[in-house]
Amino acid sequence: MTGLASFYREKEAYLLGIGFVVFLLAIWECVPLLITLPRGYALFFTTPSRIAVTFYRLLVEGKIQEHFYVSVAAFLSGLGIAIAVGLPFGIIMGRSRTLDALSDPYVTALNATPRLVWLPLFILWFGIGIWSKVMIVFVGAVFPLLINTYAGVKNVDRVLVNVVRSFGANEWQVMKVVVLPNSLPYIIVGLRLAIGRAILGVVVGEFFGSSKGLGFMIASAASNYKVDVVFTGVAIFMGLSLILTLSVKKLENSLARWRPETTKTF
Amino acid sequence: MIPCIQARDISLTFKPKNRDPVTALKELTLDVAKGEFVSLVGPSGCGKSTFLNVLLGLLKPDAGEIRLNGKQITGPGQERAMVFQEFGLLPWRTVLANVELGLELKGVQASVRRERAMELIKMAGLAGFASHYPHELSGGMKQRVGLARALVTDPEVLLMDEPFAALDAQTRDLMQMELLQIWDRTKKTVVFVTHSIEEAAYLSDRVIVISARPGRAKDVMKIALPRPRDYEMRLSAEFNDIKARIWASLKEELVTK
Amino acid sequence: MGLKEKYHEYQRPILGMASVIGLILLWEFTLTYLIPVDPFFFTKPSLIGTAFREQLSGERLWHDLAISSRAFIWGFSLSVIVGIPLGAVMGWRRRVEYTLDPLLTALYASPLVALAPLLIIFFGVGLLGKAVLVFLLAVFPFIFNTSAGVKSADPLLINVVRSFGGKELDLYLKVILPGTFPYIVAGTRLAIGRGLVGIIVGEFYAASEGIGFAIQNYGDTYRLPDMFVGIIVLSAIAVALTELLRKAELMVAPWRAGEEIR
Repeated sequence: MTGLASFYREKEAYLLGIGFVVFLLAIWECVPLLITLPRGYALFFTTPSRIAVTFYRLLVEGKIQEHFYVSVAAFLSGLGIAIAVGLPFGIIMGRSRTLDALSDPYVTALNATPRLVWLPLFILWFGIGIWSKVMIVFVGAVFPLLINTYAGVKNVDRVLVNVVRSFGANEWQVMKVVVLPNSLPYIIVGLRLAIGRAILGVVVGEFFGSSKGLGFMIASAASNYKVDVVFTGVAIFMGLSLILTLSVKKLENSLARWRPETTKTF
Repeated sequence: MIPCIQARDISLTFKPKNRDPVTALKELTLDVAKGEFVSLVGPSGCGKSTFLNVLLGLLKPDAGEIRLNGKQITGPGQERAMVFQEFGLLPWRTVLANVELGLELKGVQASVRRERAMELIKMAGLAGFASHYPHELSGGMKQRVGLARALVTDPEVLLMDEPFAALDAQTRDLMQMELLQIWDRTKKTVVFVTHSIEEAAYLSDRVIVISARPGRAKDVMKIALPRPRDYEMRLSAEFNDIKARIWASLKEELVTK
Repeated sequence: MGLKEKYHEYQRPILGMASVIGLILLWEFTLTYLIPVDPFFFTKPSLIGTAFREQLSGERLWHDLAISSRAFIWGFSLSVIVGIPLGAVMGWRRRVEYTLDPLLTALYASPLVALAPLLIIFFGVGLLGKAVLVFLLAVFPFIFNTSAGVKSADPLLINVVRSFGGKELDLYLKVILPGTFPYIVAGTRLAIGRGLVGIIVGEFYAASEGIGFAIQNYGDTYRLPDMFVGIIVLSAIAVALTELLRKAELMVAPWRAGEEIR
């Protein structure tokens, strides 16, 4: 039995974790078999298998694709603009103390406030089309990117800058050879946070004043008590979020090749 | 024949934002001949590293003249390279990419740079580590990379700012001997800053004692030991005399100010 | 030269204030003299100021804030009560962490607000639905940060306390808890942000009172100055809380716990 025992020891973390999720899903599935829910609650109840079936049905009937594309489009556009704005601003703010001081109150205030408060205003300005969603995604995603880029630029080791300068590098070369490589890990973390915020923006943006998109699908299904559809939508967002976050985490790890392992100091 | 490095009445005052100004150097005057190995010793804060940065061209003196081979120093240049106490290796670059840095910034072609860098990596005793990252190396190895990097542009003058201070005693001794070998082979002019009298006496042709802040050249002592120098020389009576003389001059700077 | 030195020391706040005042003046000037303002799309600082004074002396603003605060505090307190012990157990017992971590990480990374419509419809439009939403969003930073804090306990210190005869409770109180504290403070900062999102979304979705509802309602009725007042008030509260916690973090730990542990 040593083969099995050592296999278990190696993969223990995975087995326990995934096992637990499977276990919960199984219990969830079996609840209607074990208890009869009162009428009021039964309306809200569904099981994993029913959700899966609904998912499949929606796919086959082609009802879900359009919503999906709309949401993805808003997500990518908003995130793209956030990267295009956040990174340069983060670099500029990191390098210029004056600009940093001038922008600091806005960045602090806007970052601390839940970006969703701007949604009514954006709907007022941009209507219920895709642009209000793009704007809310942008506003949510730009701050982690900006702030983390800023931190990466500010955090650069003075000694390294002097080293490169001692070889006669001009400002642009200092940027390229020291500041940007040093900032990259920070930027990637910012991207991971920005993705989470961006998805949030899509979801909530599409809840209100919208006629398309997965968020709209969820909201309208909820008001019609179509719980299966709601969970299908939630599951899709969950899946997207997980895939993207894990991919960025992998990117983070590959970049960390040159960083020493942070060992526990004793 | 004009000296390689000429410093005349160099004065420099730092004016930090919220504090009183600090005069680091005051009318410092010294010469370094071509091919010479000169050490600067002095109490902490006396301005030795500041002077080195002036030589490097990263700091501009408020007064005085600093010349390399007769020409004023106005900024960093290919003829001078520095080895840093904290190594200063770019952690995201391999050893090879770090050593190539100087040539890369000059726009030298990739294949040419690689060849030259590999030569120096071998000379520094790091053959086989070219693809390693700095965090995988020991302190001594990191400083070898620092040395190789400084030598890659074939500078005339090597500036070394307490390069072995962060290493343990044994590695330090080893690096000193290797430095002498490399110096002997490449015939560079070296300006070496250190706290260690023993290190200064062992390595140099001349030792210059810098006074406490504000720094100026207080004493210049010629080290009349033959070259090549071996470790045993450090145990001789002659060597002790030299150290005693340097210490006598240095002691005054440590006690009075 | 005293004035120049003072400027350098306070440069950041001075420039910051100058920037904000400058913007307000520019905004007011532009919309008063340069571009005619369509009140359905834009508003200007003077109008916002008037609305501000009205609302502050009125009743509705305070009532809305009270409503929102109650739901927030309920949900947030629950997330503290559940999150910290759960995080502590996860940090202390490896097996518990292995079991719960994948699920919690997946949930943390997901936009749980997507469940908001369902939750509101199920729990109703009042306090309960909003509190549950706040709880779901705010509990995760507490769990993960507490767990990280517990895991960071120095084994050496634990051995020291054990060698002096300390029992499990002593370990918790004298070694682990103090070490965890900075992480918890950082987690609180994150949790507040997420909790506020919960309140806002909950009130946008289906409510008849509360600051989130007020903002949306003013927007719907094109009362822009009042809407901005709501946004500014909420923003001020959010900034105050966040900055307070940042100061607390710096006091409690010399290092920053970082933007986010995960």
